[in-house]
Amino acid sequence: MLQTSQTASRRHAVVSETRHLLFTVTPGAAWIIVFLVLPSVYLMAVAFMTNGPYGLPQLPLSLNSFEQLAGVGFLGWSPGNLYTLLRSLWQTIVATGLVVLVAYPIAYYITTCRARWRPIMLLLVVVPSWTNQVIRTFGWMNLLAPGTPLSNLAEILGLISPNMGLYPSNFAVTLGLVYNFLPFMVLPLYAAFEKLDTAQVEAAQDLYAKPVRAFWNAVFPQTLPGLLAGVVLVAIPAFGMYVIPELLGGGKAMMLGNLVATQFSGGSNWPLGAAGAILMLIATFIGLFAMRRIGKRLGGGEEVVI
Amino acid sequence: MRKRTLKRSSLRRALTAFWWLTLIFLYLPLAVVVLFSFNASNSAASMTGLSLRWYHQLLGNEQIMAAFGNTLILALCSSVIALVIGCLIGYGMYRHRHRKLGWLIVLIYLPIVLPDIVFGISEMAFFVQFHRLTGLLQPGLGTMVIAHVTFQIPFVALIVYSRFVGLDPTLFEAAKDLYATPAKRVVHFMLPTIKPALISAFFLSFTLSVDDFVISFFTAGPESATLPIYIWGAIKKGVSPEINAIATLMIGAVAMAAAISLLFNRKRQS
Repeated sequence: MLQTSQTASRRHAVVSETRHLLFTVTPGAAWIIVFLVLPSVYLMAVAFMTNGPYGLPQLPLSLNSFEQLAGVGFLGWSPGNLYTLLRSLWQTIVATGLVVLVAYPIAYYITTCRARWRPIMLLLVVVPSWTNQVIRTFGWMNLLAPGTPLSNLAEILGLISPNMGLYPSNFAVTLGLVYNFLPFMVLPLYAAFEKLDTAQVEAAQDLYAKPVRAFWNAVFPQTLPGLLAGVVLVAIPAFGMYVIPELLGGGKAMMLGNLVATQFSGGSNWPLGAAGAILMLIATFIGLFAMRRIGKRLGGGEEVVI
Repeated sequence: MRKRTLKRSSLRRALTAFWWLTLIFLYLPLAVVVLFSFNASNSAASMTGLSLRWYHQLLGNEQIMAAFGNTLILALCSSVIALVIGCLIGYGMYRHRHRKLGWLIVLIYLPIVLPDIVFGISEMAFFVQFHRLTGLLQPGLGTMVIAHVTFQIPFVALIVYSRFVGLDPTLFEAAKDLYATPAKRVVHFMLPTIKPALISAFFLSFTLSVDDFVISFFTAGPESATLPIYIWGAIKKGVSPEINAIATLMIGAVAMAAAISLLFNRKRQS
């Protein structure tokens, strides 16, 4: 008798726990499913449809959009889209590399400063990224336009042809990307440097390791998880960047994000744009997956991202 | 030994120099915008004198004022909705953290990892088709609020969740003994204890909303331009010096937020 009432109350507890879970989680989960998962699934479906009049997708199903993305058009094959893809990849790699080169010494330098200055220094690095992306990019347009001191300097040095200005150009896009993503790299690297086990460095010095060797064997491996987190935080959004190439690049520096966006505004070819979006998603998930694998191997299951 | 310290100090000096150069790099574009907002002429290449004329023009520009209003309404509405929904889901994640909630974690991280542009265009495609079929959800402030809430929920949920994880679990038992009904527990125990998390989640949501351009751009209607969208349009049409003035005001707002967060930090430390 007692036992049955106990199981009954336990069952009651399980039911009420489940009801509690549903009550708290359902609104948010439903919101994300309805307003993000469904739209993304729809977008993926669009990639396999045909482009109708006014750019809206139509049946029948086809792989036309992917052929177009690879450059096949009415007039045969053209390399335009392929160049855009390669340019996105190239810009991402170069910008990420440069961001690492700048962020690594900066993150190290902040850890060597007095403890009370460190939060302020980090804040100083992060604050520019709180301002709107469009405004920051607009600032660079002002700086790099023809006739500005920087452009004149580049002209005197013979880096650009006269009256061209540093923007619009591929260089301006790279610069914009580095500027935009620098804080994303400094923060995880700083966290890694702060946790750095100095005993290893001292051990290396005691064993008469040269500074360079001590760095590569005792310091660098310890900062690798932070570095990887930074690479993911920089490279994934950089690959899909839209605002910076649109404003700083001009027509000849288009990236995948611009190719996709154009299909949904001016150009109006939804299936082609959706195919580009799928490519971007694949790149994103490959990046996240690789990151998790490497992170697990390095940090013993330590959560690296965020 | 002496040689080593010498080498150290020269490395340090190089690093210090590099730090200041990086700061210049970070603040130069913003400084230029602020400087040119006070330019007397409308040249974008040279300063001819100081004046406040662009700020005067700003006040008379109805489009900018409407965009300013839209930005505030959007940020406020979306942050409030996201706060309620995200708070619930954050608590649910904490309370049921021993269950297998992998799918929920994936769902919550999805808005964060999805590239902006994919996020924006899928919502736009969805809203456009939905509107064609049902006549509801016409692109405008409503659709923008929906999109913003979608990317704010995860941040609120994660902040609230980590606040709960940081609490002593026995507190919950004590609260259970102390307050008879769940409603009283929520009002007298839970909300007060997570208040700091709620405040920072609200401000983060608000900032994310004001800061967003790409997702707003693709979900906006013709009447619902926000400040970033207006600025984008003005840049595309050909640079007008008014942009410098409005951008300077937005930079000023950010600087103020930075100062406030610094003060809070100081207070927590002391």
